Amino acid sequence: MRAESGARLLVVFGAVALAVLTVVAVRVPARAVELRGRLPDDGGWSPGAISARVGEPLTLRMTSDDVVHGFAIGQSARPAVDLLPGKWMTTTVVFDKPGKYTYYCTRWCGPNHWRMRGTIEVTGSGARVLADSVPLFLRLKLDLDQAHPSDLLPAETPTAARAGGLPTPVALDGGDLRTQSPAQVWRALRKHPGNARLTDQQLWDEVAAVWRAATSRERLAEGRQLYRDNCAACHGETGRGDGVMAKALVAGPAADPSGIEHSGMPGMSGHGTVAPTDFTNKRNMLGASAAFLQGKLIRGGMGTGMPYWGPIFTESQLWALVDHLWTFQFDYESGAGSSGASRTTHDSASKPAMRPH
Amino acid sequence: MTERGVVGSKRAVGTASGGVGSSGRRRADLPQLPAPLGTESRWDLLRWPVLNAVLRSRWPQLLVRVAALAGFLIAVLTGLLGTPVGNHNLGIVLVWIAWWTIMMLVALPFFGRGWCSICPIPMPGEWLQHGALLTPRRNGAGLKRAWPARFKNIWLQNGAFSAVAVCSAVVLTQPRITAVVLLAFLFVAIGTSLVYERRAFCRYLCPVGGFIGLYAQLAPVAIRVKNKATCAAHTEKSCYRGSADGAGCPWMLYPGALAKNTYCGMCMECVRTCPHDNIALTLRPFGADLRSPAGRRLDEAFKGFIMLGAAMVYSAVMLGPWGDLKMAAYDIGSARWLAYAFAVLVFINGVLPGLFLGAVSAGRALAGSTQTVKRSFIAFSYALVPLGLMAWIAFSLSFVFASISYLWPTMSDPFGVGWNLFGTAHATWQPYLTRSVPTMQALVLVVGFTSSAVTAHRIGAEEHEQRAALLQAAPVIVYCFLITASLMGLLIA
Amino acid sequence: MKRSRVITTALVLALGAGVIAFAPLPGASAKPANRHFRVEASAFKYTPATIRVNAGDHVTIDLVSTDVVHGLYVDGYDVSVTADPGRTASLSFVANRTGMFRLRCSVTCGAMHPFMIGKLHVGRNDLLWRALVLTLFAGLAGILLARVREVRQ
Repeated sequence: MRAESGARLLVVFGAVALAVLTVVAVRVPARAVELRGRLPDDGGWSPGAISARVGEPLTLRMTSDDVVHGFAIGQSARPAVDLLPGKWMTTTVVFDKPGKYTYYCTRWCGPNHWRMRGTIEVTGSGARVLADSVPLFLRLKLDLDQAHPSDLLPAETPTAARAGGLPTPVALDGGDLRTQSPAQVWRALRKHPGNARLTDQQLWDEVAAVWRAATSRERLAEGRQLYRDNCAACHGETGRGDGVMAKALVAGPAADPSGIEHSGMPGMSGHGTVAPTDFTNKRNMLGASAAFLQGKLIRGGMGTGMPYWGPIFTESQLWALVDHLWTFQFDYESGAGSSGASRTTHDSASKPAMRPH
Repeated sequence: MTERGVVGSKRAVGTASGGVGSSGRRRADLPQLPAPLGTESRWDLLRWPVLNAVLRSRWPQLLVRVAALAGFLIAVLTGLLGTPVGNHNLGIVLVWIAWWTIMMLVALPFFGRGWCSICPIPMPGEWLQHGALLTPRRNGAGLKRAWPARFKNIWLQNGAFSAVAVCSAVVLTQPRITAVVLLAFLFVAIGTSLVYERRAFCRYLCPVGGFIGLYAQLAPVAIRVKNKATCAAHTEKSCYRGSADGAGCPWMLYPGALAKNTYCGMCMECVRTCPHDNIALTLRPFGADLRSPAGRRLDEAFKGFIMLGAAMVYSAVMLGPWGDLKMAAYDIGSARWLAYAFAVLVFINGVLPGLFLGAVSAGRALAGSTQTVKRSFIAFSYALVPLGLMAWIAFSLSFVFASISYLWPTMSDPFGVGWNLFGTAHATWQPYLTRSVPTMQALVLVVGFTSSAVTAHRIGAEEHEQRAALLQAAPVIVYCFLITASLMGLLIA
Repeated sequence: MKRSRVITTALVLALGAGVIAFAPLPGASAKPANRHFRVEASAFKYTPATIRVNAGDHVTIDLVSTDVVHGLYVDGYDVSVTADPGRTASLSFVANRTGMFRLRCSVTCGAMHPFMIGKLHVGRNDLLWRALVLTLFAGLAGILLARVREVRQ
């Protein structure tokens, strides 16, 4: 009978202890906010809103419940944290300004990846974040939904290296290159008597040189990285609007490539979407100004499927990204360092972003 | 607990096994086992004092079962509360990788129903039934009814296994579902224990128990009596009815007539209750039970087809390159899943047995058999048993070595809360032996086919001499070869 | 029949099995080439799911993920690559080992991730052919051996 009691004690005590241990262990450690990432169609971030106070550390314990996601806070220099399925990552953030911050997924997880966003409401004293600047497109009162196609098109890719140094001074309307489209600048150059001897194509090469002079290798590299991480899935690695998500965006929810019927938000996928912009399209791109492109990035496509990046990218990141977009039109690199007049063919291996038509 | 059992005991004794076949023939076929019946076996493992003490005592068994119960509870709890990501959830990894590996590669081929002797699932129900955890008492709870006669077969197990098989893509990958399935096993087992006598759940319902029993026929260990005359003279039959020393056979078998491993759970109760020390744990050649023509049944025959077919289906779904098939298997409830489930059920219950019937009929025509078709069909289906087990081992090799590295991080951080118990919390996925697994699979299947072919030939020889025996078995052997070739096509081509 | 007859038969059969398993076969003579593949990875499948190359080929696989982050691991070669949607990643190796090798997703990509599988065929699958011949041989050998033993008794 003693043995029997011992056996019972062992089983009952063991089972109860194990259950208690498990339940206690899986409870979130105190003072951390548990944040779970799920596919947007399965609910996205949970929770979708977090509150914090200025100057007080916010500890986040994060995991993914399905596929690889990433966590980053918009308008912030903090590096993204990869959230691997079933693994926990802990990070601590301290905010020094109050305001509404956006956290977002940084690893593509389907056509609705960009909808995977949440907000952190930070209260406290001080100047609010995101309150200081009005974007250029708003100051210019640009109509972002009005296309400005260029009727002037270069015969071949404008190549900065072919231009003989920087062109004859250009009289810019308003003085800010970012408010001018390449076509406008080309026209200004054409009007200038000093350029009378130049052919139309040579003038386009001059335009490319002007655009190259307005950026830098570092900014282009930053822009290219941002494009690869955030844009290429839809707009394509070569900028042609043929990214891997493009099909889902055009066809809408019926073509959800995962084949899984998600219960979370039926029909959300691709509702009212249009095909992603082709950045290699000369007519559209050469007629657009940097301010216009930046406006599109900030505001998004208003129901077309194009995300709004305003809460995500800093001013400087946005301009770097726009700088990169021009590389789908202008050749900044070929022939650089060698004879400026040589018409080299593009090496697609070293410069995958550029493809001649 | 055993008093009520007496009512049903006569019938149970009758169905426990069909007795022993023509002993002269068996003796001729078993030169390795000199005179296993009638005298004390040379190969009785219980003659080794240490093992005898370990198996006789209830404590070692209880401790292992408690450990298994702990594993069961951890699997259920982490399955319910842990990450929903299957390959990082301890419940999934524990059950479908760790347990599955041990089961398929070690326990089943070498110990047959050895798992059943330490399975934690019937523990709570048996505790209630026995009124005790350690030594069974006579005042346990429950109605202790006899199991309905019409269900004294494994058709229910066949159905239960088929039902789990068509849902396997979800059961294997979703921790919550795995936990729910485990809990369902537990509660059905408890409920069955409260209504029916003994381990009715294990014997007649458990889908896992069904296939363990089928392949336990191949195991090199078996519980058998040493001397049948001793049993015949022993009127109390305490091994079946129970005594102060322990419960009557929980598996409703009469050890005195035990000829096959299929339904013996190796719980060791008869070793404890036999007053004449007449029970042996014999060591024997692999596949010995297939030599006995006695006790062959249609439900067991179908178990063989279901298992063989399921191994083929799993190889195609889990290890094949067909994404749409995987999605159909996963998308439970959808039209494509219904089509998949229907196709699988037709394949394992219709196509495979149908083709086999054709092969058996051809063999009967070739050899001029005088048996009924049904008898031949049932008899030859036992030739599929070795190939079936080897098919499962071959399938598991691929799956196990590719996935076992998921075990390291989950073991170190069982609840996914950032622990690092064994320093392996950050180990990344790494398949092992990917160069040798196909060779291992090929060899395993060669062994399986050879064993099946030899068994088929031997079954043919039960009715015919020499040439006719081979003729009758030939179409069945061709059938086995086609199955083997298909499996090789799925696994290594 | 004598016991030695059984042993002799067994030895001859074992020798036969050894020949089937290890006899050298004429190798393929195709000249090594550069082979380039674009493999799309989406929910639990690769497209194309099967890749065939000759032994010695220099194989490059561009992995294009079309829904979530996927990976590609090559059994037997122990090489892998990971690709985000929009960021094609490339994997190169020399296919100097013949046979069939499974391609497995190496990044958890959903419930069926452990079963996301493709196949790489390099040259002739000698293992398969040897296994099939060995199967037939071993089956017949087993029966023969059983009969010889039976006669002995």
